[in-house]
Amino acid sequence: MVSKPTDSASKPRTQPGESANDAIGTLSFKINQLKKQIQAERVVYIKEKIQRNGKKLQCHMSGVMSAISTRGSSQTEGNRKIPILSSRIDHPLCKFNGFSSVSGDKDHNNQDALSATSIKIPCIERLPPYTSWIFLDRNQRMAEDQSVVGRRRIYYDQHGSEALICSDSEEELTEPEEEKHEFSEAEDRVLWMAFEEYGLNDEVLNIVSEFVGGTSLEIQERYKSIKEKNIGRLDQPSENSGQSESTIGICPEKSLSAALDSFDNLFCRRCLIFDCRLHGCSQPLIYPSEKQTVWSDPEGDRKPCSDQCYLQVKVVKCLSEDSNSCGAEQNKRTTIMEETDGVLASSIIEEPSNQSSLPFPSDVDCHGSLNLNVPILVSVEKRKVTDQSDTTHCDPKLPPDDSQNSCKKLKTISDDVVTVNSDSRKDINLCARDVLDKAVKHNSDKLIESSSTFHSDEPDKSIGDGPKDPTNKTEFKKLSNSMEGKVDGMISLSDWKPLEKELYLKGVEMFGRNSCLIARNLLSGLKTCMEVASYMHSGGVSMPHGSIIASSSIMEDKGKFDVECTDQEIPSRSRLLRKRGKTRKFKYSWKSAGHPSIWKRIADGKNQSCKQYTPCGFVQKAAKIGLEDAIVPRVNAEVDNAHALLQDGNVTQMSVGIAGCGDGSLGEPPRRGEGQCGNMRLLLRQQQRILLAKSDVAGWGAFLKNPVNKNDYLGEYTGELISHREADKRGKIYDRANSSFLFDLNDQASISHHLHFLLSCLAYVLDAYRKGDKLKFANHSSNPNCYAKVMLVAGDHRVGIFAKEHIDASEELFYDYRYGPDQAPPWARKPEGSKRDESTAPQGRAKKHQSH
Amino acid sequence: MVAEGKSFGLGCDPVVGSLNPVKKREYRVTNRLQEGKRPLYAVVFNFIDSRYVNVFATVGGNRITVYQCFDRGVIAVLQSYVDEDKDESFYSVCWACDVDGSPLVAAGGSNGSIRVVDVGREKIYKSFVGHGGSINELRTQVLKPSLVISASKDESLRLWNVHTGICILIFAGAGGHRNEVLSVDFHPSDIYRIASCGMDNTVKIWSMKEFWPYVDKSYTWTDLPSKFPTKYVQFPVYNASVHVNYVDCNRWLGDFILSKSVDNEILLWEPKLKDQIPGEGAVDVLQKYPIPECDIWFIKFSCDFHYNVAAVGNREGKIFVWELQSSPPILNARLIHPQSKSPIRQTATSFDGSTILSCCEDGTIWRWDLVTNNSH
Repeated sequence: MVSKPTDSASKPRTQPGESANDAIGTLSFKINQLKKQIQAERVVYIKEKIQRNGKKLQCHMSGVMSAISTRGSSQTEGNRKIPILSSRIDHPLCKFNGFSSVSGDKDHNNQDALSATSIKIPCIERLPPYTSWIFLDRNQRMAEDQSVVGRRRIYYDQHGSEALICSDSEEELTEPEEEKHEFSEAEDRVLWMAFEEYGLNDEVLNIVSEFVGGTSLEIQERYKSIKEKNIGRLDQPSENSGQSESTIGICPEKSLSAALDSFDNLFCRRCLIFDCRLHGCSQPLIYPSEKQTVWSDPEGDRKPCSDQCYLQVKVVKCLSEDSNSCGAEQNKRTTIMEETDGVLASSIIEEPSNQSSLPFPSDVDCHGSLNLNVPILVSVEKRKVTDQSDTTHCDPKLPPDDSQNSCKKLKTISDDVVTVNSDSRKDINLCARDVLDKAVKHNSDKLIESSSTFHSDEPDKSIGDGPKDPTNKTEFKKLSNSMEGKVDGMISLSDWKPLEKELYLKGVEMFGRNSCLIARNLLSGLKTCMEVASYMHSGGVSMPHGSIIASSSIMEDKGKFDVECTDQEIPSRSRLLRKRGKTRKFKYSWKSAGHPSIWKRIADGKNQSCKQYTPCGFVQKAAKIGLEDAIVPRVNAEVDNAHALLQDGNVTQMSVGIAGCGDGSLGEPPRRGEGQCGNMRLLLRQQQRILLAKSDVAGWGAFLKNPVNKNDYLGEYTGELISHREADKRGKIYDRANSSFLFDLNDQASISHHLHFLLSCLAYVLDAYRKGDKLKFANHSSNPNCYAKVMLVAGDHRVGIFAKEHIDASEELFYDYRYGPDQAPPWARKPEGSKRDESTAPQGRAKKHQSH
Repeated sequence: MVAEGKSFGLGCDPVVGSLNPVKKREYRVTNRLQEGKRPLYAVVFNFIDSRYVNVFATVGGNRITVYQCFDRGVIAVLQSYVDEDKDESFYSVCWACDVDGSPLVAAGGSNGSIRVVDVGREKIYKSFVGHGGSINELRTQVLKPSLVISASKDESLRLWNVHTGICILIFAGAGGHRNEVLSVDFHPSDIYRIASCGMDNTVKIWSMKEFWPYVDKSYTWTDLPSKFPTKYVQFPVYNASVHVNYVDCNRWLGDFILSKSVDNEILLWEPKLKDQIPGEGAVDVLQKYPIPECDIWFIKFSCDFHYNVAAVGNREGKIFVWELQSSPPILNARLIHPQSKSPIRQTATSFDGSTILSCCEDGTIWRWDLVTNNSH
């Protein structure tokens, strides 16, 4: 199948002048032929399949046959009681003769008379229904009924005979249409044949799409994938090797911000999940305004975190000062050499073929054999050995100019080596420390000897090391010369990749100048404690606090730095940095990093005053920044409302001013005229008792149980958070509902005004039509006694209802829906307006859904 | 054919049987009985005991009747049972055996209770209560004829051991049917496997492999049946939406499934189970057997013992006899009688397919016999 089209594929290419019509004509003919062939094949296939199945079935049924023919046999042994049924066959109750001829119109046997002889089956009591209750979908008490997911809502216009079908979301309806076409094998064949022979162009595509399902785009994609598959089949091995190499984890050359980009973008820090639906992606990062105390360990009692801890070096230094001035350096060198040797020796063991011919395994060989083992093991020591072995490995062999290059090459190699041989290397390390202790007391010459003997003592490497010891010795001597003075540099400053540097800076930010913690928590597998320490000392950035500036300067480089932030507020919130990606759209509100701690405090029962409640303050500031960036729609409820009103027609919104703790003004201390921060009450749900009763105005109304003072918090207005798009759609439905049966249904009267709260700087609308609390029943009044305020509570926008004036107990609550001049329903204009006589079909429908 | 095949995609279309009978076989009405005035919903031959292969049972209203087919169209009434509950309307009947091989008849209907009659002793054997809705079908596991499964309006299937009277398993719940279960069938060879279908338009395949210890346990249970640890099987191993309407009858044809919906055809299709995703699977529709005027639900077809033919009645009292295992499908015969006008709820095909019985809405039983060449 593959070869055939390629033969003919050359034809159209050689004759490009061939008229398109001809080509297309033959194409459809060919496709038709192919189709017929496919169909014929299908018929044969089915036939074969059915025959095979039939044979199998026959086999089974003969087995069943033998089973059923022995039914009575078990009985014959014991009680050979012949069933009455058998005897009845010989003596039936009655017999009806068959028709003798075809005509038999009159022949009509009637069996009714027989009922006298029938045996009674006694009544049995039915089970009460509750005993047979089983878990069914419809037996669940679920909110599903209230949601309209997958359901169509139809509203009938009473006056016009118009029916409006409103599906809750268009996506649901369009989804099945957008379902991806699954290409069958036959369609693949047609595709392949057509495009291989006639090339991929529009005309061919048109014809093909007549025969093959799916959109033309899908067809093209499918063709590509088939092509890839066919190509892939030919040279599969090369593809595989390419893939295996590309699967390497993090790239240390990237910067930290780049590495964290997807995390910053997709991770919702409030919900602690990726791709949070509610808060969206690309949430701006907020850094805590309070300076977090650095995790500090009293350095005195610190124990070495590992044998590569910088504290070890200190110990060694002390020792060396006692005995010999240059002892410490020698020590260092020795350990390095030993480990290098260990590494090399073990790599030789890996490759017995090389050991006889070459004093050192050549890097190519090493690569070839060991690169297959993809390194996964991450250990603190690994890195160290890598670096050191790099240096030792290359220096003697190569001229100094090339050493840097080859080092880089070899890095991966020796990584592998180390990974593979990590076990043996650990042994070496242990022994190395012993040697180290001894070495302090010996001079440098002996030291080398002891190290090499130590290697020959190693049982693992006896084979490889035996013949090599002499060479090793000499190599090491050279090595020690060439490496003089280099060692320190290699350890401290070489190859700190940008990512590592940034991680280090973060570490300093978090842990202070504690290289143990930094190395363990942030650079594990990348750098050792000692390296971190030396990096720290080598002035590598002498800045525990300046680190932030450094990191911010990195951001500045990329043009993402928030200028305003640094300009005005550096002293108070130097860390209030915000990063934004290139195409990030600002979708949702600010999150407070201090949020969990608030909750904790609340849980502890401490009454929290606003002053301590820092999140409010800085969230406000953050919001300010967002505004000035002009990425966020301006935090202005009125503007958005007006817009939405235009779209929604009769749908009304309650417009509310955004108010944070401090009424939104930057830098202003929270207003404490009301005694307590409003959002805390919202957060703690310290609301007034609201009663639900028949309103004096229309439908249901909300009443207050206890008297409240002016500006007292009454409760939260809750509902579904829906998008603007959804709100528009629902608006149409509610609009309909309003005009058609608002007055017929007293139950619905007050809710069908369906308050929408626009949380304006978000892309969300609060809809209390289906779900909400009792406060949604409060009616409209042009002279209200309540007002609503959108507040930022722990980073979320919530709507609080407050008393506009002193309200007595059991008074009805009103707020101003801000109806447009024509939008207000009649009852809002003239309160005693309507009749409630007819009960209509929509009422039944509404009741069925139990939405209120 | 192309238009029909469109929905299946190129190269996946089924082979559709032609409605022009080949006249390979000819059937003739040889008897007709009027059994009361109430509609008869089920008629079934005894395929589980070779001694009684010509015995059949019918149910209609509150009556269960056992007949014997003799040669030359003679039908004899062997037994008749009447439920004292006049409101009972049996919808389904099946044959079963206790462990001794004594023949039993199980019937169920609108009441939701299953009546097991010991026809070997002519008395009620057991009654099973438990279903919360009427029973739409009862089937027996031929290899283990004490096992009877019931499909009910309460969206569940229940597996019973008629010998001990135990409800072993309930197939319902999270993955179960979402509307009345109308039909169920045991796999002919795989003893663990059942297929069910219903008003939720789906066909589901269930496996009781993991629950088989309970089935074994049910044979030796001596305590009260109500104390048996009845298990719920909540998830089918396979779920297919082959039809777009109520599926009111399904039968295994080897490893394939024959299923009948109310859209005038029986489909033969192969369930392709995917191991990776339990519960989901593909469908390969192989053949279509058209049945004109068969658009009301609760019309069930029957097969002979060897699954060579299937007989199905329609709304107008006609019977279509399809040769099942030929490809393309062959319509063996179209049985038409001027007086047979009432909807045929179920047919029964005899062991060798030579006799076809039909029971009708008007309470009549029709017997059609194959016209052999010898009789000419």
